[in-house]
Amino acid sequence: MTNKILLKFAKKGINLSPSAYKKIMEDNNPLNLTSSIIVKLKGDDYKSKDLVSVSGEIIDKIKGELGLSKSSEEKHKVSEKPLVDIKKTKKPIEPLINTKKSKETPFINKKENSTKIKVEKTPKKIEPKKPASIEDSKRESDKKEKYTNEIIEEASEKVSDTKVQFKRNLTKSNVEYDFKIIQDTSKKSYTSGEIENLISYFQSRYEKLHKILSKRPELRTAQKVADIEEAQTELSLILMIRDIRTTKNGHKLIEFEDDTGTIPILFSNKNEELFREAEKLVKDEVIGVIADKNGDLAIANQIINPGAQRIAKKEMDFGIVFISDVHIGSLTFLEDAFNRFIDWINCEYGNEQQREIASDIKYLVIGGDIVDGIGVYPNQEKELAIKNITEQYNEAARLLGNIRSDIKIIIAPGNHDASRVAEPQPAVPEEYAKALYELDNVEFISNPGVVSLDGINVLIYHGRSFDDLVMDIKDFSHERNDLLMEELLKKRHLAPIYGERTPLASELEDYLVIDEIPDVFHTGHVHINTYRKFNGIHLINSGTFQTQTEFQKIYNIEPTPAEVPVLHKGKYKHLKFI
Amino acid sequence: MDYFERLEKETHHLYEIANKARSKGLDVNLETEVPLAKDLAERVEGLVGPEGVANRIKELEKDIDRESVAFEIAAEIASGKFELTGEKANYDREQRCDQGLRTALAILTEGVVAAPLEGISQVKIKKNFDSSEYIAVYFAGPIRSAGGTAAALAVLLGDKIKEAIGINDFKPIEDEVERYVEEVELYESEVTNLQYSPTPEEVRFAANHIPVEVTGEPTDQVEVSHRDLERVETNNIRGGALLAMIEGVVQKSKKILKISKKLKLQNWDWLSEYSKPKTDDSSDDSSSSDIVTEPKYIQDIIGGRPVLGYPSEKGGFRLRYGRSRNTGLAAMGVHPATMTLLDFLAVGTQLKIEHPGKGNCVVPVDSIEGPIVKLKNGDVVKIKTIKEAKECKGKLSEILFLGDMLVAFGEFLRNNQPLLESGWCEEWWIGTLVESENFNKETNTLDLNKLEQGDLTASEAFELSEKYNIALHPEYTYCYHDVTIRDLNSLIELILKHKEEYDPEKGLELPLSYQKRVLEILGVPHIVRENKIIIDKDHSYSLINTLKTKLPPLKDTMEAVNRVSSIKIKKKAPVYIGTRVGRPEKSKERLMRPAPHVLFPIGNNGGSRRLVATAAKKGSIKIDMARRICTNPDCKLTSQNSICPYCGAPTEIGKAGIKSINLSSMLKKASDHVNIRKVDEMKGVVGMISESKLPEPLEKGILRAKNEVFTFKDATIRHDSTDLPLTHFIPKEVGVTVEKLLEMGYEHDCYGQPIESEDQIIELRVQDVVISENCANYLVNVANFIDDELVKLYEMDSFYNVKEKSDLIGHLIAGLAPHTSAGVLGRIVGFTKALCCYAHPYFHSAKRRNCDSDEDSVMLLLDALINFSKNYLPNTRGGSMDAPLVLSSRIDPEEIDDESHNLDIFERFPVEFYEKTKDPLKPAEVLDLVDNVGNHLGTPEQYEGLMFSHHTSSIHAGPTVCLYKRLPSMKEKVDAQIELAELIRAVDQRGVVEKVLSSHFLPDIMGNSRAFSKQKVRCTKCGSKYRRIPLSGKCKCGGNLILSVSKGSVTKYLDISQELVNRYPVSPYLKQRLEIQEYGINSLFESDKSKQSSLDVFF
Repeated sequence: MTNKILLKFAKKGINLSPSAYKKIMEDNNPLNLTSSIIVKLKGDDYKSKDLVSVSGEIIDKIKGELGLSKSSEEKHKVSEKPLVDIKKTKKPIEPLINTKKSKETPFINKKENSTKIKVEKTPKKIEPKKPASIEDSKRESDKKEKYTNEIIEEASEKVSDTKVQFKRNLTKSNVEYDFKIIQDTSKKSYTSGEIENLISYFQSRYEKLHKILSKRPELRTAQKVADIEEAQTELSLILMIRDIRTTKNGHKLIEFEDDTGTIPILFSNKNEELFREAEKLVKDEVIGVIADKNGDLAIANQIINPGAQRIAKKEMDFGIVFISDVHIGSLTFLEDAFNRFIDWINCEYGNEQQREIASDIKYLVIGGDIVDGIGVYPNQEKELAIKNITEQYNEAARLLGNIRSDIKIIIAPGNHDASRVAEPQPAVPEEYAKALYELDNVEFISNPGVVSLDGINVLIYHGRSFDDLVMDIKDFSHERNDLLMEELLKKRHLAPIYGERTPLASELEDYLVIDEIPDVFHTGHVHINTYRKFNGIHLINSGTFQTQTEFQKIYNIEPTPAEVPVLHKGKYKHLKFI
Repeated sequence: MDYFERLEKETHHLYEIANKARSKGLDVNLETEVPLAKDLAERVEGLVGPEGVANRIKELEKDIDRESVAFEIAAEIASGKFELTGEKANYDREQRCDQGLRTALAILTEGVVAAPLEGISQVKIKKNFDSSEYIAVYFAGPIRSAGGTAAALAVLLGDKIKEAIGINDFKPIEDEVERYVEEVELYESEVTNLQYSPTPEEVRFAANHIPVEVTGEPTDQVEVSHRDLERVETNNIRGGALLAMIEGVVQKSKKILKISKKLKLQNWDWLSEYSKPKTDDSSDDSSSSDIVTEPKYIQDIIGGRPVLGYPSEKGGFRLRYGRSRNTGLAAMGVHPATMTLLDFLAVGTQLKIEHPGKGNCVVPVDSIEGPIVKLKNGDVVKIKTIKEAKECKGKLSEILFLGDMLVAFGEFLRNNQPLLESGWCEEWWIGTLVESENFNKETNTLDLNKLEQGDLTASEAFELSEKYNIALHPEYTYCYHDVTIRDLNSLIELILKHKEEYDPEKGLELPLSYQKRVLEILGVPHIVRENKIIIDKDHSYSLINTLKTKLPPLKDTMEAVNRVSSIKIKKKAPVYIGTRVGRPEKSKERLMRPAPHVLFPIGNNGGSRRLVATAAKKGSIKIDMARRICTNPDCKLTSQNSICPYCGAPTEIGKAGIKSINLSSMLKKASDHVNIRKVDEMKGVVGMISESKLPEPLEKGILRAKNEVFTFKDATIRHDSTDLPLTHFIPKEVGVTVEKLLEMGYEHDCYGQPIESEDQIIELRVQDVVISENCANYLVNVANFIDDELVKLYEMDSFYNVKEKSDLIGHLIAGLAPHTSAGVLGRIVGFTKALCCYAHPYFHSAKRRNCDSDEDSVMLLLDALINFSKNYLPNTRGGSMDAPLVLSSRIDPEEIDDESHNLDIFERFPVEFYEKTKDPLKPAEVLDLVDNVGNHLGTPEQYEGLMFSHHTSSIHAGPTVCLYKRLPSMKEKVDAQIELAELIRAVDQRGVVEKVLSSHFLPDIMGNSRAFSKQKVRCTKCGSKYRRIPLSGKCKCGGNLILSVSKGSVTKYLDISQELVNRYPVSPYLKQRLEIQEYGINSLFESDKSKQSSLDVFF
């Protein structure tokens, strides 16, 4: 035990002072405390010099922050809101995204953007004072501001460090599932990589979205590009974007096409509201456009997204847990936290209330990257604890095998899994994940995939296309992936941009089109939890069970490890296992 | 007559011929378009102007150094102190600043590279928000060709100009500063890595302080988020500006600070911040330094390019200091027997090396140590000749030692790398002997030459060592330091046991036992007969007399050996250099794709082969081109000539546009003109890429096709070869006669004797070149083409009259390197079998090349003078690179790249030098012990009397084509690579297989399968590209679209990788990685439906 703990700190380059070491060993679960401390030390604003030798005070401070009291007598107290300290250090929440009154905030973007745009219209013509040294040139802005999601803040609670020995559900329970797979593209890959496949792929995308758009009243009279007449002055078209350019004067000139021809349409920056919408357009998406035509020049009036209309609320008397990006096999996988999570789901960990939530759970959805995989990026070998893909899945099976058998587990692949890189990705193949396939409460599905869990439709998509959206659309960030999810829903496509970061397989049908609006849209990939309700749809990004990776360090991405979203009887809960 | 005067006279003669030909009015201009420049000043004037600046430069050069001259010129032109004449007389202030900066930058880059033309797009005077004025320098991508220092100096020049015209500093606003920070980050993540990765605060610090706006054109299709800034014209990455700021100002901050102080420029003291030691976050650095990083050369192993030695691994190449007549300037010597044995090393093949530097070119030097090999029968043989190497080849069981690598001291100096310990070699030994107290030069009767070559018995060697109190001769010194004391003791025991049977006349006979391995590692030659190890008498003598008794248990084997040996034993090979094969050598005519004979546009009418005759069959075709119009108002005839063929008045270039031309009649006319009927093989171009779109006369194409030569984009005919250095040649080896040499002005050999035989060693004149035989054969055709052109097109006398390649000797050529715009005059002196161009190091340096596998072109001078025209060059960025915009007629070592100043030119290192190499000294600390070109600049010795330390009997011994080029498929190349890995002691075979997979094949497969799913499509008919396939599935021209990334390119390394994984014991990790890729690829290319339906058949 002692060695194990010291090794853990040593691996992270942290030295403990004798007093700190004593304090840790005094705890009645030193191993768990160790992982929590490491995450805190690495994650929070501790300087490297603090890590040279961690003092006893720091341990006390962290324990305080974690809601663990200094003395062991208070330990069994359940701390419902332990995060007060951290909250105080965070930036005050912008009033615009204060969602206390209504949890659904469909129009946030507009307002938020309108103020931002104004600021940019008058660029800061401040000459910076010349710094005297390179040190002085450091900026706070090099570290991204941390955004606080109010809903999560409110819904979140740390699962209290109380372990209750329940009897494990060893026998099969009599729970009835109404589980249906609505969309699974595994073993339905019909492409052979010929150019004809590529043509039919995009034609399928256009047709599917055309079908959705043509139901919109403004587009009932939509015509084809080839049918536009010389003298016509008003245009109503359903188009796919081919190219987006910015003119010298700062307008957007977008080249569109349909199956009959191409047409350039100008989006003037004078029309501020429209222009803001146009800034969110990306290559290869399909939209409706209403435009004025004057000779050869077409000027847009209105953009019509396929959109996601409000859905009706469904009753739900059970719970669904969403996780992703577990990264089993990585050196940075938080095994202890994950074990606590499993103990909780087995109703053996947490306070009474929390255990009660656990007992209602019927489904566990895993949205990709359950393992870290092999050869995903250069020199990954050095960051792996398990260097064999089959063994990684074996380990996953060992861990998930501890979950009580009356929970159905649905697993979709991510970019780290042993599947093809191009989306849609077929389900994790049995060849590698045999051990998981042998668990009889596990279901496999493609990425993307749609399942119905006792009537609740869940769209599972790993989230690779976030990388493209963040690059191409101004003001979007990985951190606010709730906004990204909303945008994808509006576009009714999971990965609209072709040819950049997300490889797309030229399947005959475009499975990435969102045909039906789901009740829950579940993503992962960016390792940052988000939650929002948009037009009645739960947008959930389930975070990760991995600490900050080298890659994320370089890009200043702060992950939210070991935080698990739960949809409990229609309400969002956010449980922390660190 | 002086050498240079002779060259100049002949050059002028060619200019006369070219001008006469041009005066006939059949070309774009009436005069040749390659101005002649004798020196740097004239080159600068020829390249960027302005008129008359050469004289001013020369005037200033008398008093101040080159850098100061450049800055002074910049100030004078910008401020108007230097008066502009001619068409530039009306330049405004901004244009003068632009001109000043370009001229100064041209001086700083020796008037050779294209950076002053292409690397700077413009210089502007812009306004700060407080409405004061400042200078903005707009950089473009080709600034790269200038190098970091010159790019930074361009920024400094902007500051000087600002001062000269009395305007303000650039005052950036916060958004602009942050824009730089973002751009640097984006550039590194989206485009490519910078040589130096700065932190955001370093970028911010520089951006805040540089008193000139460093900006530029967009270079990459990557947009920033700090958009639409008032003073930054583009929202894309400005690659040129980033290079100038980061790889220039920041990376070279030390140097720039020094220069700014020298030039007394204010405002640059802040640069000193960059050389301060970093204060914080050092904990991160120290933890990363714990990881031992692999040397760069071995980080990537490419399929088919074998590793010859792991880093510093025993049995690799031994470092040997010295220079032969064909090494230096990054070319290094290897024994031709090693080259023959390995088959992957040909003359001019590139090696990536552990040190010094990153790469070199291999050339044969046979006066250094060859390889030691073990044969299948157990014999261990030291190979000394190519013949022996060939005999051993089929019988090899292991290559124990690769032999020496001859590295000039200049290589260490150039790379500023600490010296490495010298191995115990013959020239060092002889040095210690001559310097011995007991040696008297007067009374000496020893044959020193013979001794140095190792021609002595072991007992003689021991006697000499005793008599002169020196260490044992290298011939009888073995690699004791490579074995442990324990292993060596086991050998000693065996020897002692069998000492009684030892016959000093016959040598040692030992039973075959595991101690044989110790002998192998020591490098003691022996044979195995009837289960006995037989060591010859000399080596037996040496072993028995060195290893007299068992070694004491010390730490170091060398110390222990010296404890028991009565004579001093030195380290034979303290440093082994790890290497792997890089790029193969090359010597090939330059062909565009497809290769045209004439720059005449025929659109898509010529079919895929671009045949003019095919296009002509269509009669009249529509083509985008320009024609010339007669200036005589009464005539106005359109033609292609610069003199009106009808009235004789000058013509001017008309506007380019789509014209309908009767190609058929034009072709017939041209064919009649030169009286050649066979025109059906002549190829044209689709369209003209130049701005004027004026085509070449068809006649030239007919004549080129007849002589089977092809034109490059600038209408010259080029032949490309790998550059290699040569300072001395033997007439016989390059195929030149004594008679011809005398005729060319050579008088004596390198020892001052008159030239009488073809075996003498002669110092190469600095502008004479030895071209490859295939280059010569091509140039024969070029010469015939020019003669045809002179006779049939221009109706003049023929000039070359060349029948065979030897007739080319003495003729003038121009050498021209990519990224430069100045040709360098050269003269052909002979030929080499090797696929390279051997020339004086100065000649390569004048083109700004070194010899680590750089390649460039030669053309016949008359071809460039008659046929080259700027009018054919594309108007795009970089268009004037690799074009002979000026011809540099005389090489002055002071005016070329100073890399050549590091060339070693002495016969022998003093003993002191060898002794000093034990410590890792900086090369500059031992400069007093060596002699190089730098010491003789500005004196007659800079041209004559350069010597070498190691002779080589042939500059093209060993293979001339690398095995990589001879094997047709990647599979065979990789097989050969792995076979070699198994043979060489210094290479780990499994490591090679794994590295080839992990650094070449797997990334390739992954990259291509990713690329496959993101690919563009291309039209087969018009060549248009689409980022995404149009919804219509057709090109706008109606043509068919095809994939740009084929299935084949995704799967090309799949089979070979699978085979490697199955055949060799690679890690399961790699095996699985490959399996997963295979699964992904199958999923992309195999329809699940077809899998099912094929199963359906059975049910």
